[in-house]
Amino acid sequence: MEDEVIIGLEVHVRLLTKTKLFCSCENREVEEPNTNVCPICMGFPGTKPMLNEKAIELAALAALALNCKINKTFSFSRKVYFYPDLPKNFQITQYDAPIGIEGELMLLKAGRKIRIRRVHVEEDPARLVHVGGDITSASYALVDYNRSGMPLIEIVTEPDLKTPAEAREAVATLALVLGHIGVCDPSAESAIRVDANISLAGGKRVEIKNITGFANVEKALLFEIARQKQLRAMHIEIEQETRHFDEIKKTTSSLRTKESEEDYGYIFEPDLLTYHITDSMISSLAPALEELPSKRISRLISKYQIPENYARIIIYEGKNFADFFEHTADIFEDRIMLAKWSVGDLLKCLNYNRIDVSQAKITPQSYAEFLSMIKSGEITERLGKELIKEFVATGADPRRLAERYKNENFENLDLTQVIEATIKENPKAVEDYRKGNQKALQFLIGKVLEKTNNTADPKKIRDMLNARVAQ
Amino acid sequence: MQAAYAPFISVAESIRFEITPQSLLPGVPVAVKDNICTKGMRTTAGSKILENYVPPFDATVVEKAKKEGAGIVGKTAMDEFGFGTFSTNCAFGVPKNPLDPERSCGGSSGGSAGAVAAFKLPIVSIAESTGGSITCPAAFTGTVGITPTYGLVSRWGLVDYANSLDKIGTIGKSVYDAALLLSVIAGYDEKDATSLRTQNTDYTAFAKPDGKKLRVGLPKEYFSSAVDSGIVKEVEMLADRLNSLGFELEQVSLPSTELAIPTYYIISMSEASTNLAKFSGLRYGLQLEFDEKQNIEEYFTKVRTEGFGEEAKRRIILGTFTRMAGYKDRYYLKALKIRKRIINEFKQAFAKVDVLLAPAMPILPPKFSEIEKLEPAQVYMMDILTVAPNMAGMPTVALPIGRINGLPVSVQVIADHLQEGKAIQMASIIEGLNGR
Ligand SMILES: [Zn+2]
Repeated sequence: MEDEVIIGLEVHVRLLTKTKLFCSCENREVEEPNTNVCPICMGFPGTKPMLNEKAIELAALAALALNCKINKTFSFSRKVYFYPDLPKNFQITQYDAPIGIEGELMLLKAGRKIRIRRVHVEEDPARLVHVGGDITSASYALVDYNRSGMPLIEIVTEPDLKTPAEAREAVATLALVLGHIGVCDPSAESAIRVDANISLAGGKRVEIKNITGFANVEKALLFEIARQKQLRAMHIEIEQETRHFDEIKKTTSSLRTKESEEDYGYIFEPDLLTYHITDSMISSLAPALEELPSKRISRLISKYQIPENYARIIIYEGKNFADFFEHTADIFEDRIMLAKWSVGDLLKCLNYNRIDVSQAKITPQSYAEFLSMIKSGEITERLGKELIKEFVATGADPRRLAERYKNENFENLDLTQVIEATIKENPKAVEDYRKGNQKALQFLIGKVLEKTNNTADPKKIRDMLNARVAQ
Repeated sequence: MQAAYAPFISVAESIRFEITPQSLLPGVPVAVKDNICTKGMRTTAGSKILENYVPPFDATVVEKAKKEGAGIVGKTAMDEFGFGTFSTNCAFGVPKNPLDPERSCGGSSGGSAGAVAAFKLPIVSIAESTGGSITCPAAFTGTVGITPTYGLVSRWGLVDYANSLDKIGTIGKSVYDAALLLSVIAGYDEKDATSLRTQNTDYTAFAKPDGKKLRVGLPKEYFSSAVDSGIVKEVEMLADRLNSLGFELEQVSLPSTELAIPTYYIISMSEASTNLAKFSGLRYGLQLEFDEKQNIEEYFTKVRTEGFGEEAKRRIILGTFTRMAGYKDRYYLKALKIRKRIINEFKQAFAKVDVLLAPAMPILPPKFSEIEKLEPAQVYMMDILTVAPNMAGMPTVALPIGRINGLPVSVQVIADHLQEGKAIQMASIIEGLNGR
């Protein structure tokens, strides 16, 4: 009999604010360690936290997007534990009254909703840099406080997930939803970090800490399920413990065993007040909720008259991609062509380069120019498909790219000579074509195009081939 | 003075006054309790674990005092993190009472009061009270201490004891001096979320021995047998005198007073135990040799064992216990409820009277030899008259009204939230009666 798997997630999402949660340091990753810090986020004795109200707004927005009940009066608590990444040895978080409770998240592939237990705001601890290995093998660790005090929300699901694939879908869906409404930027480094709780029915609960990347969520859980099933098959009891996921080996290893639930001795944070979410704040968030993926898909279809499958792909690529599409649509009229190129070659090139559109050096203006060159016949579609690779990779001006390409390749070539050479090299295809095989013609056109590096006009090649073969 | 009475932990090497014709404190020496941050000047909070902490910023109160032309002359001795009643829990020497060096200055702001009492100069002190740490040393040294409404004075730069109770206040030689310094340091500060949005007020305007006849309440629980009978008699004589001068007197009751001490200690220790967590030796606290065989918890334990004094350790252990999951309902959360009840009782009293008048401390300043014999619980009982107004966040002025065997007897005048003016006015009237 298959053991039932029970999975619950704690998803930490970095909020998209300008400054940190309790001080005026910038809320962005800074490379040089310990340079984006101040006495407050380093917990100097004598400092006090100042609440960034934008973070509350974004947390409330996230809670609304997840259909949570909103706690209109909320407060902060101190969660006390001794760990080198916490400068104060307590974390300011929400305990008794989180911003949102009892929400839900629709998983399309799984075809059902899972329940969200709570959404609360908290400060990020510092980053530990393990030297000479990972957390389990390093000889020592350094502390980088740049991340200390960055604003997070923690989204806790009920243990409603049944497979690693569902867990992966849940995290990806959260990233998509929260990305579109501007709560977070899922493309930023470690903007989403997951703790996964997993048990086999009747077994003890194991927590896998700090997983980044959707695929890793699935891989970590797959390994862990296999490990637990193996132990069970050998009649070895599964220990309640916290484990670490090794991204390279794709395995989990034990960090510490938990004899009982940890007691953090929560008290109310006495340096902060009780805060209120007003009805006017909630109504001011309504426009952002219009950007929820389902609503945005409908809007794309009706506003730009594009097919649903295109709209869906554009939205599922995330907010940055959808924004890029819409900004281009503002200045390029053939929206169907735009959509087709976007979900086709543009996406392919971005994926090939493993970059988000916001990281690529192309702009809606240069992309629109590129498309209009194709539309006007200035370059062929085939050449376009070739040029877009370099265009996306370098962000170079598309018109210059095309000119350079033509100069380097075909301008000086005589198309007649290329056709002659192709015919000589492919006698079988020529023969087939003479017998009326249209596929053979396509094959020959392709060969000619290849030789011209896709710079020649396929229609012209067809005419010339026809004329030449008919001789 | 430092040699005789040791009010300071550190003294300034030199002072630059920034004085303009408008300065409110031109050239005035100000002593600052050593749990209040001073930029570039060591701030220890009386603890060995912070012996090398030099803050890179000034507390808001220090900044404000300097801006008005004052100079910070030194950082005053105190019980470690404010944990004490006699300033005997200080890691850097115990301040002595200038009225009798064999006796305590009181605590925890003992050095702040001691410095004011010791110098025949117009010196004032910035002090701090969590459960009575301004009223107590003011009473024991015969000085005037003002504990303002919670939130009136910014706590930015205060090394926390119990954040929901901590109040920075003033100690001076007269009601006027203490009121003047309060006028300078009070006011809203965006760097402290709990600071109140108030108008700037000149409290010296209330420091006059005349004005309208206030209604005076005498809370009967503050005149109990737990208070030295000589002190009770002095305060009752004062009340009679006020009555004969036409002040309306009324006996009032604050029935939850007896719950105030356990409630106060539960809340303050719960908060304190979290505040002290940061002193673990990683970022803050002693830097000891790290033994490769130790794990990080063992290192933290070693630093905390060596760095904290006995009373700090006691409060960390008790405060951790009272907030643990299984006990939180019975202690921490219950204490928060009783605190609300105590506030309501004060509010009811202030619906009938303008100010409350009561003894400041239940005993006269004790000798160090007597203090040594006290058990911790007996020491905690010394706060019986001060913790309730402190927990309610009510403004209080403590001032001397007479002497018994050469030792000062003091009263406290308590007013409703943000009614510092009334407390200062009543205190000035009393001060005037004693022919100052
Ligand atoms: Zn900061």
